[in-house]
Amino acid sequence: MQIVEIDGFNAHCVAKGIGREVSLFMLQDESIEIGDCVMVHVGYAIQKMSELEARSAWEVYDEMLALEAKGA
Amino acid sequence: MMLTAQDWLAKIHMLPLKRRVRIMNVCGGHERSITMAGIRNALPKTVELIAGPGCPVCICPEEDVYQAIQLALHADVILVAFGDMLRVPVNMSKREVRSLEQAKANGADIRPVASPREAVKIAQENPLRSVVFFAAGFETTTAPVAAMLLEGVPDNLFVLLSGRRTWPAVAMLLDSDTPAFDGLIAPGHVSTVMGPEEWLFVVEKHSIPAAVSGFMPVSLLAAMYSVLRQLLEGKPFLDNCYPELVRPGGNPSAKAQIAQALNDADANWRGIGVIPASGFVLSPRFGSHDARIRFPDFDLAGRKRAGQMPHGCECASVVLGKINPNQCKIYGRSCTPKSPIGPCMVSDEGACRIWWAGGVRNNATVSTEDAQTFVVE
Repeated sequence: MQIVEIDGFNAHCVAKGIGREVSLFMLQDESIEIGDCVMVHVGYAIQKMSELEARSAWEVYDEMLALEAKGA
Repeated sequence: MMLTAQDWLAKIHMLPLKRRVRIMNVCGGHERSITMAGIRNALPKTVELIAGPGCPVCICPEEDVYQAIQLALHADVILVAFGDMLRVPVNMSKREVRSLEQAKANGADIRPVASPREAVKIAQENPLRSVVFFAAGFETTTAPVAAMLLEGVPDNLFVLLSGRRTWPAVAMLLDSDTPAFDGLIAPGHVSTVMGPEEWLFVVEKHSIPAAVSGFMPVSLLAAMYSVLRQLLEGKPFLDNCYPELVRPGGNPSAKAQIAQALNDADANWRGIGVIPASGFVLSPRFGSHDARIRFPDFDLAGRKRAGQMPHGCECASVVLGKINPNQCKIYGRSCTPKSPIGPCMVSDEGACRIWWAGGVRNNATVSTEDAQTFVVE
């Protein structure tokens, strides 16, 4: 969900037009700003979401092998 | 370049798999995505996907549900619980109250909640009454309970905690004589909170491939590809196919809060037994909010089948991935979502309910078809 308002440990978040009050109490080690996206579970933000995509370490491994092959 | 679910599926089909491979997931959300996206039928026939211990409601001790029912009926409390818990049956005769839902129908003040924050609000709004929050869940749900306690709760709020860790159940399966799987899809949100390192033992101690996955088909298929390729190459490692949320070390605030508010304990899993260090209890610091200390133990000595699954129900074998949901002899016959007998048919995270929602209607114990064949209506 995306954070639209922050008041202490409370945040108002929206996702697909639906608003929810969310606790930021479990993200005290993160710097959180309005506009950030968080994963919410039972009313608590459990992690800030990054823009990385699903991938496997094998992609990196194969890319390295391909580069080595090119180099050879 | 970002790969799509179709790309990952094509890569899986290109792998030279020569023998049957069993991949277990341990998360109701994973099982739901796998079933609803039709991933089982899309994979090569040699790959079998097994639903493992991924449903906290399913393994919540029967005696804890019984205790919650009795508290609600006899202790003049408001009992709040996650909605999934309300229909879980205990082993009582049909003439007696067998679920929180039935207790509510008999006049008990039971209120379903979706968040620990709602439990706090109910306690604040009812300062003259005791409120018992029956909290069953794995780490992703138990961590917010710890946060709730540390943030401060009213004096009249008490927690009946049935929190469980996921990895000890997998460790128990792997330590058994015949591990039920060749590769593991590790849970995304548990790893988000606790850190992916909790699953290293699967690779390091048992040489079994593992990959943390998210909940979209693209992430699940990436994780399945990783596990299969690890097997083929003979190079097991812990892959992270959910990097948008899962970071090394997990969520440090959440882990610190669990450590401050809760202690580890040996814990009972319904129908399975006690698994060492698999449960959470409130730390002495929060003893004044511990419902197990504040209220009497209502358990009845000699109660028949206390702690067990209901008669005829094979949820324990389903939870451990020993059988598929439709290999239970009551699946779809006497046990359906409309009148569930076992907790796996009650909870949205239960494999039986998920398979039923996914359209699996055949009972493999009465069908001549292979148990892995799906009849979808």
